[in-house]
Amino acid sequence: MIAVAVTSTWYLVLAAVLFGIGLAGVMIRRNPLIMFMCIELMLNAVNLSFVTLANHLGDIGGQTTVLFVMVVAAAEVVVGLGIIVAILRRRPGATADDLSELKG
Amino acid sequence: MDVLRDQNWLLSLGTFLPLAGVVIMLFIPKRDEESAKLVALVTAIATVAVGAYTLVKFDYGQSAKLQFFTSHDWIRPIRATYTLGLDGISLPLYFLSMVITLLVIIYSWDHIPSPGNAKAFLMLMLVLQTGMAGTFVAQDLILFFVFFEVVLLPMYFMIGVWGGEQRQYASLKFFLYTMFGSALMLVSFIALFIVTKGNTAEGGSFAFSWFQAHGPEIAKTTAIWIFAGMFVGFAVKVPMFPFHTWLPDAHTQAPTQGSVILAAILLKLGTYGFVRIAIPFLPQAAVKWAPAIAVLACIGIIYGALGCLAQTDMKRLIAFSSVAHMGFVMLGIATLTPLGVNAAVFGMVAHGLITGMLFFLAGSVKERYHTLEIRRLSGMLKQIPRLGWILGFCAMASLGLPGLAGFWGEFPAIISSWNPAQALVGDGKLDLFRVLTVVAALGTVLAAGYLLWLYQRTAFGEPNPEFTSHGSGAHSLSAAANHGDDHGSDLHDVNTYEWIAWTPLLIAIVVFGVYPQLMFKVIDPAVTNLMRVFGK
Amino acid sequence: MISALVASDFATPHVDYHALAPEIVLGVGICLLIVLDLFLAESRKWLVSTVAGLILLGAVLPVVTLGVIGSDVRSMFDGRYVIDNFSLVLKALFLLSGYVVVLMSSRDTEERTPYQGEYYTLLLTSIMGMVMMASARDLVSVFVALEFLSIPAYMLAAWRKRDSKSNEAGMKYFLLGVFASAVMLYGMSLLYGVTGSTRLVDIGQAVTGTDHLVGVQVLGIVFVIVGFAFKVSAVPFHTWAPDVYQGAPTPITAFLSVASKAAGFVALSLLVFLAFPAAKSVYEPFLWVLAAVTITVGNLLALKQKNIVRMLAYSSVSQGGFILMPLAVAGTGDARTSLRAVVVYLIIYAATNLGAFAVVMAVSRKTHSGEIASYGGLFNYAPGLAAVMTLFLASLAGIPPFGGWYAKFGAFKAVLEARTGAAYTLAVIAAVNTVVSAAYYITLMREMWMKPAPDGDESPVRVPRNLVAALVITGVATLAFGVLPGFSGYGAITGLAGAFGR
Repeated sequence: MIAVAVTSTWYLVLAAVLFGIGLAGVMIRRNPLIMFMCIELMLNAVNLSFVTLANHLGDIGGQTTVLFVMVVAAAEVVVGLGIIVAILRRRPGATADDLSELKG
Repeated sequence: MDVLRDQNWLLSLGTFLPLAGVVIMLFIPKRDEESAKLVALVTAIATVAVGAYTLVKFDYGQSAKLQFFTSHDWIRPIRATYTLGLDGISLPLYFLSMVITLLVIIYSWDHIPSPGNAKAFLMLMLVLQTGMAGTFVAQDLILFFVFFEVVLLPMYFMIGVWGGEQRQYASLKFFLYTMFGSALMLVSFIALFIVTKGNTAEGGSFAFSWFQAHGPEIAKTTAIWIFAGMFVGFAVKVPMFPFHTWLPDAHTQAPTQGSVILAAILLKLGTYGFVRIAIPFLPQAAVKWAPAIAVLACIGIIYGALGCLAQTDMKRLIAFSSVAHMGFVMLGIATLTPLGVNAAVFGMVAHGLITGMLFFLAGSVKERYHTLEIRRLSGMLKQIPRLGWILGFCAMASLGLPGLAGFWGEFPAIISSWNPAQALVGDGKLDLFRVLTVVAALGTVLAAGYLLWLYQRTAFGEPNPEFTSHGSGAHSLSAAANHGDDHGSDLHDVNTYEWIAWTPLLIAIVVFGVYPQLMFKVIDPAVTNLMRVFGK
Repeated sequence: MISALVASDFATPHVDYHALAPEIVLGVGICLLIVLDLFLAESRKWLVSTVAGLILLGAVLPVVTLGVIGSDVRSMFDGRYVIDNFSLVLKALFLLSGYVVVLMSSRDTEERTPYQGEYYTLLLTSIMGMVMMASARDLVSVFVALEFLSIPAYMLAAWRKRDSKSNEAGMKYFLLGVFASAVMLYGMSLLYGVTGSTRLVDIGQAVTGTDHLVGVQVLGIVFVIVGFAFKVSAVPFHTWAPDVYQGAPTPITAFLSVASKAAGFVALSLLVFLAFPAAKSVYEPFLWVLAAVTITVGNLLALKQKNIVRMLAYSSVSQGGFILMPLAVAGTGDARTSLRAVVVYLIIYAATNLGAFAVVMAVSRKTHSGEIASYGGLFNYAPGLAAVMTLFLASLAGIPPFGGWYAKFGAFKAVLEARTGAAYTLAVIAAVNTVVSAAYYITLMREMWMKPAPDGDESPVRVPRNLVAALVITGVATLAFGVLPGFSGYGAITGLAGAFGR
């Protein structure tokens, strides 16, 4: 067994990968709920990145930022789910592509 | 440059007085056409009175200097000032714009074009007047630009709402061409400012005097590019050859009043811009551009003349003749000599009087015959002799008959192109200009050709039976009273409103033709002053 | 970490209540509004809009006193929240445009929705976010202000619950808005990682775009700018704008296209002038391309629109490009001139565009249509509306003497001030685009002035009093900004504390 020290870099890479997965998900998936979940994933990647950097730099600012991001994300969930549910209730199974009354 | 600051409120009053009329007219109900016309007329008369007072108070001994000069801070952050002033070049154009507006409003008294709405029509006319007068007296580049653009919308609506069949197309074309020119012009104005003010964050000014002092110091290549932007802006307005295509459409479709103002004043904004701004501010670039301008001017002369020969519509023919005439004006400017520019300024006024008059006539012919197709018109001298004679007179004036005003715009311009400025000769452009002299002279022959042909076809011969069936005699007496109610009663001779509107123009054409010195002595000192940068 | 925090003695930050007064008035007002709404009988709900308007005007009051009393910069929380000339002017802009939106809304909401209290509460909350944005000088406060203004806006866009178009608008706005926030936040985390601080001025000293970690710096800058590019609907991040504008209630559309967009530009200016001034080699080319593409594509798409709101939406995309222009040369040109150009443009554009939407609302009360063709004959049956609409369109097209020309003038001047080949090219691109934009503004003018009414119905339009007030305010402002642009001195804004190497 080789002991590997888990450095900040690992976390940062993980955050980047999570962010990438979320980004790809938003681009590819068409279900509004899943797209929203992918965005949440991106936000959490951001949180991880902030916390790691704060720890690495020995600065409290990054951790504070994370608290703000978490609160805001919660508010977004409330609003977003409200809107998405309102749509899905009227048109069950609607995807982002189905929403095409407005175009041009 | 020293200026005369006496009575410095006079130009502001003359420029903005029409707007006061517009504000009053806002409160007149739309249905009350008589009051609207009255207010417009009174405003126009008051404006001309202010203009006449300006003429009287103008110090003719010092016409090279800016008079009635006033200068205030306007937009401090960009160093634009509210600066007005009047010298010998501006004076005739400034006054001409006021007179033409008044005459047009008189003419409108019983000629409000379809679809009516005299109130809006006359309001637009007064706004136009402010823009035109302001352009000729502005002595600050930004102020000039604002006034230059103020005329755009009223003219657009005048063509688009009160115009002929193709009015929407014509007005759109007019608008987009002009807009294109002025966008590039604005960019070059700003570039000129930034280049002259040096590297300091603050400093510099948009006043004309600043550019006159510092414009000639700009590096030549930069100056040539800046000149290019201005060239497009002004050349569209003139219009010069490749940019002229909006003009025939706009003229043909515009209501008579619109055509008159367009021909008499609006086109002059472009040539005035060359004389006042582009050439004196960027003399080193002007020398490089002058040959190109001269060539385009001559193409315009010949092209306009040939275009005239091909027209079947009288109004369109007059519009093409404008292209040719403005070609002479631009040729005079391109020589960069005092003689040439004098001729150009004279030509601007003369063209304003004569072509304005021709468009009035075209409008009246259209009103009587309901057509302007040259093929269907004939025997005007028999049917409506007075109108026919006036048309003949104006055609003669337009083709440059010595003794009438048109001659003094064209002849000196051609002469001056034989001997262009020393700087151009030094550039080895003498031969080119001498060739152009010949071409331009040929243009006058063509002008005589198309105008006489037009006159021969419309005025001579027997009246077209198409228009005689209703008889002209029976109605001509009562025409002024009941005009417009049916087709037959339209064939009447010149009526009172038309006489009032036309007489001043006709007199001016003769007076300036017989005694051109009257205007040249006002223009010349100012022109000589501006052209001093080119040496001899 | 934590122990260090506990050990350090916590000093209560100094709070300048006068400086915070606009926010306090708004915050208290919002609470009052919620309570008031609870106790009002259904028949007296109109009071809510009046009170909302008064709250906004009340919040303008301290902005004025702050501007008059002290010209000094008031800085709080270690320079993370700053009240200077720049922020005061923009606070006033946000509050006053909010007031106009309230005027525009009042009649509309009375007739169409039962939830007036909630509507105005959300509107005021969003405005509060913008007011905070003007003072935010820290990544965290910028982010919080941004979400503060965006989240209520998502709900307002989806306000007509039973209208599937409004639903769709809200959802598109929400998904793209949150997505943009996430991208922006990731960029912020990278910038934080490079500099170790969330204060914009600290970032400005560390981010130079040259030395260490240059890749991370570039990525951070680009991500942050992309995030705001969504907010200001710069091409290619503009796709939500026309759909949302068309689907949302018209007053909200006006609000989004003016105030929300302005807030995005405020944030962008803060970043460009405070956080990236040394990294001009990174942000300038990026913004240059963004500006050129935004102006051009916005115009070309606007040309083919048949619906007036979509046309105005694309027009506002292209106007956004003009506001990006001075930012694209902020480093090489004169920074003060650029900043002034952005602020002036935002103010004039706000007056003009709000006015244009007010006319759209007034006309649609009669025609019940958003098609451009439905404007035929307006000059005959409502000459006043046709005239003011012409004023607004001419201002948008940049024709003197209406405000827009001065805004465009400022943008051109700032660009040319840079004196580089790229700057000259951008100016010429923009100049040509001015003509293209004139083409579609003129289409609408032609419809109003020269075409007959499509259904022959020439009965006059009844314009409610509040809407008339909105039209008068915006119309007078548009004209005044054009004729006397230097009058109130707002054009002389150079005071962005901490910027320009001070």
